Amino acid sequence: MRELHTEEFIVNMGPQHPSTHGVCRLVLTMDGEKIVKIEPVIGYLHRAIEKVMENRTYMQCIPMMDRIEYVTSMSCEYVFSLAAERIAEMVIPERAEYLRVIMLELNRIASHLLFYGVTAMDIGALTPFLYGFRERELIVDLFEMTCGQRLTYNYIRIGGVSRDIPNGFEQKCRKALEIISKKLSDYEGLLNENPIWLKRTKGVAILPKELAIAYGVSGPNLRASGIQYDLRRNDPYSIYDRFDFEIPVRYNGDCFDRYLLRLDEIKQSIRIITQALDGLPEGDIKNKKSRQTFKAPAGETYARIENSRGELGVYLISDGGKKPLRVKTRGASFNHVQVLPHFGTDMLIADLVANFATLDIIMPEVDR
Amino acid sequence: MGLIKKLPAYAEKFPGGGFVTTSVETILHQGQAKSLWYLLFGTACCAIELMCTGASRYDFDRLGMIFRATPRQADLIICAGTITKKMAPRLRRLYDQMAEPRYVIAMGGCTINGGPFYYDSYSVEKGIDHIIPVDIYIPGCPPRPESLMEGCIHLQEKIKKQKLLDWQEK
Amino acid sequence: MTRDELKAYIAERYSDFLKPLETGKYDPLYEVDVTKLVEVAHALKEDENLKFDFLCNLGGVDTGKHFEAVYNIASITNNLRLDFKVIMPYDQAEVESLQEIWPAINWYEREMWELYGINVKNHDNLTRFLLPEDWDQGYPMRKDWDAPDFKRKPEL
Repeated sequence: MRELHTEEFIVNMGPQHPSTHGVCRLVLTMDGEKIVKIEPVIGYLHRAIEKVMENRTYMQCIPMMDRIEYVTSMSCEYVFSLAAERIAEMVIPERAEYLRVIMLELNRIASHLLFYGVTAMDIGALTPFLYGFRERELIVDLFEMTCGQRLTYNYIRIGGVSRDIPNGFEQKCRKALEIISKKLSDYEGLLNENPIWLKRTKGVAILPKELAIAYGVSGPNLRASGIQYDLRRNDPYSIYDRFDFEIPVRYNGDCFDRYLLRLDEIKQSIRIITQALDGLPEGDIKNKKSRQTFKAPAGETYARIENSRGELGVYLISDGGKKPLRVKTRGASFNHVQVLPHFGTDMLIADLVANFATLDIIMPEVDR
Repeated sequence: MGLIKKLPAYAEKFPGGGFVTTSVETILHQGQAKSLWYLLFGTACCAIELMCTGASRYDFDRLGMIFRATPRQADLIICAGTITKKMAPRLRRLYDQMAEPRYVIAMGGCTINGGPFYYDSYSVEKGIDHIIPVDIYIPGCPPRPESLMEGCIHLQEKIKKQKLLDWQEK
Repeated sequence: MTRDELKAYIAERYSDFLKPLETGKYDPLYEVDVTKLVEVAHALKEDENLKFDFLCNLGGVDTGKHFEAVYNIASITNNLRLDFKVIMPYDQAEVESLQEIWPAINWYEREMWELYGINVKNHDNLTRFLLPEDWDQGYPMRKDWDAPDFKRKPEL
């Protein structure tokens, strides 16, 4: 019998593709059906936000920070305000802190519901897409009631928040959380024991612990590989040390665990919001020094928070003027795209699609 | 479309020939306007609002619009999101691959003139009408799903006003 | 270890490598000499009580007078966080690559080279990845960079 002569060929999953989230190009070297090498090509959404922010005042930087990671815009605005407040050593009023925590956790639930819908659609199930977005609309309605916008909010200011919650927010919020808790059991029943879903995600693309730490993976992807590290517990910011919640961990590190972990996190966020609504005090919503002509004293700091994707950080350098000298942003997805070639090879293309979807990558964080 | 393109030249010579042309136009418009299939091309923030418009609350399917994955099967490209200088040749290539008749909607401030990135950005293409011809502009950052649906309804009105003679010149 | 204990430990053991800077708020900030960068990184990773195994961020800075490269690191096993920076004059902008110590730093060094022009020695793939492939207009994030179609926002 003669040996068949085979050779490797290159397939391009181009910038426009239904299942790369945003514009990411993957150049795949294939041997038949199996992937031998992946090379990610990024930069198709490099909008130079950091250069733009060097020529804007601190208050004008807040809507620019929104566009760095638009699915969780509240977290992006919050981390910039946290850095500026640490340099200026400002004290934030209690009501503002509680409102910020409520908005951050609502944003986390909305982001995980979007993950649920889009991941299921990539792997082939179209029904969860409609279910996830239906519940996400309830939360987006709450945001629209408070600040008028559905996606890029421009709500959090340096020193507090920009406006108070209107009447009727609390009842509507509790009703929405009750509906979401009930529907979570629907979502789990739809996919968790489905044999097709299990075949596509269980045991696929295991991310080992040591590789995750070496490449800077953070957030739910790290916690699904067995390491319990959450910045809300390990380096508490705002008033997170007053609330009682658990940090879920899973130990297998495959696609199924990453998907289950995010559904667990929705339940913990609902706990935090209920406790915050119960303990919401009266008072101011802004520090007295928070105004349009805010000037930070000279100094620099790195502020980091736990976003729904991982660690979101801002290194802010101020020279005492009304514009920042340098704003360097760090998004979690930059590291996740970097680690993909090191554990995503030796599988079929369909497994690569499932892997890329459960890593929950958003491209503007990578390119900025 | 070969025979239909030659139709006005022959039919107009007879009395009552205009009646045939307009009836054919009505049937063509019903087919083209009421089932526009769009290409999934979401780059940045406006892509999330595009997904929300296609989801449960604001449904695109009631206008007959469904998403397709490849430009060969689509006749509308909703360009949602910022286009950078690196992405611009790829957008031109996608537009060239679409079959005629084809339409373009520019959604969001970034595609109209650069949006919030007009000043101080070294890598953003300031408006997509340098690259491809645009039919409808929808302002907003990001525009609400209701705005996007109104833009699509305007596009349907625009299609209904087209005449067969326009196709002869193309 | 709390933040103050960390500062005291480093002042006791590594005071000739890491000089504390007053401008850093919240987390401790140190300055490191360019020639001793690899030694310091090894020491911070292998010390039994510190074990800094997680790289958070690396950013280039153009202050108008000199270049800086700022490193932010963390320890997952011991729950610690630290920042340090390297200051370089304009005509000697070069650092050593630290990718054997923290593999995550690979793409961060590439980005710093591409946008600022700070050279990185012993890097295995120093090519362009954020800007277009045919970019020939220099290093855009520098303070003195300009181009014909670059519009600055006017002061009001």
